Amino acid sequence: MKKWLAIGMSTMLFGSALAGCSSGEEKTAGKETSGTKNEKVEVTLAGWGGNPTEQKLLQQTLDEFQKKYPNIKVKYEVISDQYMDVIKTRLVGGEGPDVFYLDAFEAPALIKTGALEPLDKYVTDDFDINDFEKPLLDAFKGEDGKIYGFPKDYSTLALFYNKKMFEEAGVEVPKTWDELREVAKKLTKGTQVYGFGVAPELARLYYIAESKGGKVVTDNKASFADPKVVEALQPIVDMHLKDKSAAQPSEVGANWGGEMFGQGKAAMVIEGNWAIPFLKDTFPNLEYGTAEIPTINGKKATMAYTVAYVMNKNSQKKEAAWKLISFLTGKEGMKIWTSKGLALPTRKSVAAELGFDKDPLRAPIVAGASYATVWQNGTNLPIITNNFNNQFVSAFLGQRPLADALKEAQETANKEIEGNK
Amino acid sequence: MRKKAWREAGTGYLLLSPTLFVLLLFIIGPILFAIFLAFHKVQLLGTTTFEFVGFDNFKRMTGDLRAKIALWNTVKYVVLVVPCQTMLALVLAATLNAGLKGQKFFRIVYFLPTLTSSAVLTLIFMWMYNQNGLINDLLQAVGLPTYNWLGDPKVALNAIMVMNIWSTAPFFMVIYLAALQDIPDSLYEAAELDGANAIQKFWYVTVPYLRPVTSFVVIMGLIGTFQLFDQSYIFSAGSGGPNNSTLTVVLLIYQYAFKTLGTMGYAAALAFALAIIILIATLVQRRFSKEESLY
Repeated sequence: MKKWLAIGMSTMLFGSALAGCSSGEEKTAGKETSGTKNEKVEVTLAGWGGNPTEQKLLQQTLDEFQKKYPNIKVKYEVISDQYMDVIKTRLVGGEGPDVFYLDAFEAPALIKTGALEPLDKYVTDDFDINDFEKPLLDAFKGEDGKIYGFPKDYSTLALFYNKKMFEEAGVEVPKTWDELREVAKKLTKGTQVYGFGVAPELARLYYIAESKGGKVVTDNKASFADPKVVEALQPIVDMHLKDKSAAQPSEVGANWGGEMFGQGKAAMVIEGNWAIPFLKDTFPNLEYGTAEIPTINGKKATMAYTVAYVMNKNSQKKEAAWKLISFLTGKEGMKIWTSKGLALPTRKSVAAELGFDKDPLRAPIVAGASYATVWQNGTNLPIITNNFNNQFVSAFLGQRPLADALKEAQETANKEIEGNK
Repeated sequence: MRKKAWREAGTGYLLLSPTLFVLLLFIIGPILFAIFLAFHKVQLLGTTTFEFVGFDNFKRMTGDLRAKIALWNTVKYVVLVVPCQTMLALVLAATLNAGLKGQKFFRIVYFLPTLTSSAVLTLIFMWMYNQNGLINDLLQAVGLPTYNWLGDPKVALNAIMVMNIWSTAPFFMVIYLAALQDIPDSLYEAAELDGANAIQKFWYVTVPYLRPVTSFVVIMGLIGTFQLFDQSYIFSAGSGGPNNSTLTVVLLIYQYAFKTLGTMGYAAALAFALAIIILIATLVQRRFSKEESLY
C-alpha cells in the first residue's frame, strides 16, 4: 500500500504543482497565438487506439486537417488501457490533452465537474449544428443546456447470425424475442455451439431491462430491482440455465461476442458496427448476416453508443483545438473518418452521402438509430452499471435468483451514490 | 566541544539531505497528505476543493458492503496464501539443500517465476486458465472436473491464489536457503546419534532453528498479500468481478481514487484503515512467534 500511495500521491502533488504553472502560462500563450499568426501551434489529441485500419483512417483525416491548417500540428496520443482513469488523472494534474474522446456514458459526470469547455460560443452557422442526429448530440449537453462535445460517430446493436448454421438447422431469422429463444434452442449443439452468445452486462441489456415498462435508473439512482425489470431480464437468465442455449463469451474461451461468433461457438450474437471490420479481418470466410434486433412486446428497441470530441477547459490553445474539433466533426472530416464504414456518421448529410443504409450488413444498424436508446443516464450510471454487472453475473450463473441479486445490487449502488454526495 | 558536535551533526545532515529530501517528498509527505485527505471530501477534477468532514469517511466504511466484501476476500486470501507459500518455500529450500544431484540447476528453475513481472505472469496464467486452456485440458486428461476459472465467482479468487503461491514461494525459498546454510552440522550429527530419521531431523532441528527467518517470511508475506492488487486488477479488468469475487481492499481503494469522481478522500481513509489492519496483523504474528520461541 505504501508503494502505491507514494506513486499516487506524488503524481497528485506534482500534478497540482504543474497545474499551478500552466495556468500562468496560459495568458502568455494566448498572446502569442493572437500576435503572430504564423507561429506553429501543437494541439494534442487523445483517444483509445483502434485496429490498424482505424488508426490509418484517423491519420488520413488528421493529415487532411494539417494540410488545410498548415500552422497547426496535431499530436495524437493513444491511451490503450483504462482510458477514463488516465484521462481523469491527467486532467487533475493539469496535463490533460487539448482535445480527447469522451464516451456518452461518462459524459454527464465529467461535464458536471467543469473540466470541459462549453463549445456553443465557437459554433458558426457554417458548422451546421442541426445536421447532427439530435439524440446523439443531446448526449453531450450539460445540465446548463450547453454543448460540451460533438459526436464523432456512433453504432447501434444488431443481430448477427451465422448463415450456414441457420441453413443446417432449417430456421428463419427471428423477428421477436420469443422466436429468438426457440431458434436458439434448435441451433445449440451441446456445449460446442450455443444458439445465442450474450454479454451479461448492463450496457448490452439496458433496452431489454426497460422493455416491460420498468426503469433501470430513476432520479439518478438505481431502480433496477423493479419487478418489471426482473421480469424483462429473466428470459436471458433462463436461456442460459434452463434452455442451455445461451452462454457468455468467457464460457467458451472467447473474449467478446464478436470473437465467439467468429469462432463458430455462437450462432447468434448481438453486436454493433465494430464487429463488421473485425469479422472481415479475423474471420474472412465466415458467412453471416445482420438483422434488426427482434422485437420485445411488439416494440423495436436497441442501444446506441456514441463518442464525442471534447475540449479541455484548461487547454492553452483553445482556438486551434476548436479548429480541430470542427474539422473532425464537420462534414469534410467526418466523411473521411466514416468513409470505410468502420464507424457510422452522426451527421445526416454525411450519412445520406455515404449511403450505409443501403449496405446489406450495415442497414439494420443504421435503421436502429431512429428508435435506439442512447447509452447514458445521468452522472451515476457508471456506479449503477458496475453494481448491476457484478450481481447480474451471479444470477446468470445460477448462484442465486435474479430478483435477489438485483435487489442487493440496487441497495449497494444506492448506498454508494448516497455516500458520494 | 559542544560546537564541534554541532558542526559534525550539521555535516552529517548536509550529507543526508538528498536522501532526506527524497524521503520527505516521496514517502513522509504523501503519507501525511493521505492522512489529510482521509478527513476531507476531495473534489480534484474541475475546481479542486477540500471540505473537512471529520470522521465521515471512516463512518462510511461501516456501511459499505463492497468494503466488507473486499476485506473478506483479502483476509481469505491472506489466511490461505501466507501459510501455503511459507510451507512450500520451506519444503523447496530443504529439498534443494539436501545435496541432490543438479540442485543448482533446480535452484535456478525454481527461482525463475519470481523474476517474471507479475503483470506478464497474470496474462500468461489467464491464458492458461481460459475455458479451453492448458489447465482445463490437463484436468480433463486426468478425469477431473474443469472450471470456468476466470468467469466463475466461486473459483476466480482461488485461481489468483494458486498463481500467487507459485510465483512468490521461490522468493522466500531463497531466504530459507540462505538461512539453512547457517545451521551447524553438529546439530544434525547429534540428532543422528539420538536415532532421528530424516523427517524428525527436519521437524526437530531445521524448523525450530529457522524460526526467526520464518517470522520474517510470514511478516513479509502478510504485508505482500494484504496489498494484493495487480493480479486481481488484470484478472477482472479493474472491476473486481465476477460478482465482486476478486475485489480486494487495494483494488477498491484504486476504484474509489481513480474511477469514481470525488471519492479520493474516502479512498485515502480506506488506505489508512488497511495500514492499521496490516499493523495489527503483524503485531499479532510477532506475539505468536515470540511466545513459541520462549521454551
